[in-house]
Amino acid sequence: MAVAGQVDRSNLNARVRVPQHVVFRVFPAETVLLNLESGLYHGLNTTGGRMLEVLEKAPTIATAITELVAEFHVEAERIEADLLTLVSALLERGLVVLEDAGRA
Amino acid sequence: MPVAPERLTQSRSLGPAARVGLAWEILSTYLGVRRLMPRGPILKTVGALRASLGERPGGGRAAGPDDFWAALRLGDAVSRTLPLLPTDTRCLMRSLVLTQLLSRRDIPSTLVIGVAPGPDFKAHAWVEVDGRPALPAHRDTYSRLVEL
Repeated sequence: MAVAGQVDRSNLNARVRVPQHVVFRVFPAETVLLNLESGLYHGLNTTGGRMLEVLEKAPTIATAITELVAEFHVEAERIEADLLTLVSALLERGLVVLEDAGRA
Repeated sequence: MPVAPERLTQSRSLGPAARVGLAWEILSTYLGVRRLMPRGPILKTVGALRASLGERPGGGRAAGPDDFWAALRLGDAVSRTLPLLPTDTRCLMRSLVLTQLLSRRDIPSTLVIGVAPGPDFKAHAWVEVDGRPALPAHRDTYSRLVEL
């Protein structure tokens, strides 16, 4: 499992999971996350919120990139860079965990 | 949602001794909940509070209309009692206290956390019974984020 702040291309085949102690909801202007263990609220802009939605459902980060490229019509390299940055930030704040793809 | 006045005023028809007893129960419950709360983020207490309730209140039954009116009366009592002393009267504390009181009376309840996203971000907690708020939910301001 990746350590916070060390998410890179070597993690593209990992799966991003939102742990049970984190809840989030997508609102029109932002996505609000609440870490029930820390009691801290976090916010993502609309793009970040959409990325999180796709990440949560995708089997791997690589799959999420493919879906987001099709959705945002932006080159894959940019999506990959932005997504890995987002995952690193979420991981650092305990809002997601990385798992090997194929693990339940 | 308008409250039927005759239902709510039933709580005000308690005799003096019963009212004192209820106030004492509310304050002692408040102290118990405060002891559960570690220093720092208070949301860590919610899981501990649920764990301390043991078997699900109501034995897994769904709440009914009578439960709601009882919860509304208790919620009203909690809201009026806690401010009488220098206690923490924030919405989450009131919600936790009410949850404990309802649990003792075998009334299933849900603690709801809502948020008002935006530049003036705000969060609010309330308790629902039978799908209806037993404490002010301010639904025109707050959208549901999580039910605990």
